[in-house]
Amino acid sequence: MPRQKSERFIVPIGPQHPALKEPGHFEFTVEGEVVTNATARLGFVHRGMEKGAESRTWTQDLYLMERVCGICSHVHSMAFVLGVEKLANVQAPPRAQAIRELVAELERIHSHILWLGVAAHEGGFDTLFMFSWRDRETVMDLLETISGNRVNYSANVLGGVKVDINERQKDELLRGMDFLEERTRHYLKVVTEDDTFLGRTRNIGVMTFEEATRLGAIGPTGRASGLLRDVRMDSPYAGYPDFPIQIVTAKAGDLEARFVVRIKELFESYRLVREIVEKIPSGDLTTKIPRRIPEGETVSRVEAPRGELFYYIKSNGTDRPERVKVRTPSLCNCASVLTTAIGHKLADMPMILAGIDPCFSCNDRMVVLNGPAGQSLWDWEKLRQYGIEYYKK
Amino acid sequence: MPIGSMLGDIVKSFFKKPVTEKYPFVKTAAPENLRGKLVWNPENCSGCQLCIKDCPANAIELITIDKVNKRFVMRYNLDKCTYCAQCVVSCRFHCLEMSDDQWELAATHKEPFEVYYGREEDIKFLLEKAALGAPEEACPEA
Repeated sequence: MPRQKSERFIVPIGPQHPALKEPGHFEFTVEGEVVTNATARLGFVHRGMEKGAESRTWTQDLYLMERVCGICSHVHSMAFVLGVEKLANVQAPPRAQAIRELVAELERIHSHILWLGVAAHEGGFDTLFMFSWRDRETVMDLLETISGNRVNYSANVLGGVKVDINERQKDELLRGMDFLEERTRHYLKVVTEDDTFLGRTRNIGVMTFEEATRLGAIGPTGRASGLLRDVRMDSPYAGYPDFPIQIVTAKAGDLEARFVVRIKELFESYRLVREIVEKIPSGDLTTKIPRRIPEGETVSRVEAPRGELFYYIKSNGTDRPERVKVRTPSLCNCASVLTTAIGHKLADMPMILAGIDPCFSCNDRMVVLNGPAGQSLWDWEKLRQYGIEYYKK
Repeated sequence: MPIGSMLGDIVKSFFKKPVTEKYPFVKTAAPENLRGKLVWNPENCSGCQLCIKDCPANAIELITIDKVNKRFVMRYNLDKCTYCAQCVVSCRFHCLEMSDDQWELAATHKEPFEVYYGREEDIKFLLEKAALGAPEEACPEA
């Protein structure tokens, strides 16, 4: 039998477990083993949080927003609280701002080490995964010591923070940073020198500076392609004006560069944590904030471990927000996966996907259903009818 | 170091104890800031209900027994609680705190998740009333 001319084939990956333990659907068109086209479908974990925020008070929303993401919970509550404070024209005291930055940097450390482990696991380097996650426990314990919880720190309240750090905790923080710095130096050496691992990362998923600009890549993904884009530097918030960061970039734009940028950012975070611990300003932790937030709208941006996190908050003068819009960094970086995937082997896809440090669950905001007649706007009655019909089948 | 850059770590691990905690057998103390079970001390409570208003999970209720003499019973739902400690911050009289030693809260049935705080006779009165099927006095919206 003669062979078919075209060997084009579509490989669906997901929605269950596409490289990561979060739902997202990808379709890779392959010719032989080489990917020639890629499409993504998101929206499997829409949780209606933005709508939910409208029926809760400002204080209650703080904790709802904290649960948008399971890894970077603090930055979500910080983005929300900074926006609300801006609307209410209230400034949290300097000590509170410094503690916000401290928790944010500790969270960045935990998130970057978590990513290091996940990405190593996708590359088949489980030793690095196990050891880096063991070391990550250090920073998780530090976060628990400071805030009282490992994941949802709830360090923020409207108008300040609810956790303080004492001398003993400062000592623990410094000791933890010393240990982690030593380990991180080792990991940097491993990911830049180990030949077997470099085979999976060097020149894989290359995104040039021009491409990164065109696709609007943000966070470490963009910085690995040479983009100078970091909200902490561009418009400092919380404690960042007093404790500034130094931006870390790389030129290559491949997976190795993303490893290097994230690991070097860890060193930057260790430096910041030490600086804050040494020079933390004294004073109050909270300031008074009204229960009814004055009418107005605002945009609040913070740098999450994955890139710029964007909050739009609108108040109508009551004790509940009128609209809260969240845009998480993973959404901006998703397009880069689809572009950089082309030309690589199918086996590299999990690595390229993990390379942007995606967090699908937090970026799923809304699902637009395309109706039978190409309609995309449905009213409640129609949606209900669709639901009934769907399950009748 | 072309290959096997983590071999050193592996070899070292052979001579070390596992890093995992032997949790149910050996218990390490929780940090003092830990947000465990909520504890209510009725002594200073004025019944302002700010804690209830701010609770994101609607896990606490204050049932008024005698408003004039400030006798309240607090019903706390452990399973609804998100352990955020907002109520502790909201309380102006420092009646609430989150315990750092009561955190092993798992149970196989629902009853232990409903905790009553207040005077013993008040709780008894309330539970007896509930057993009779009488509607309890709901706390008015503050």
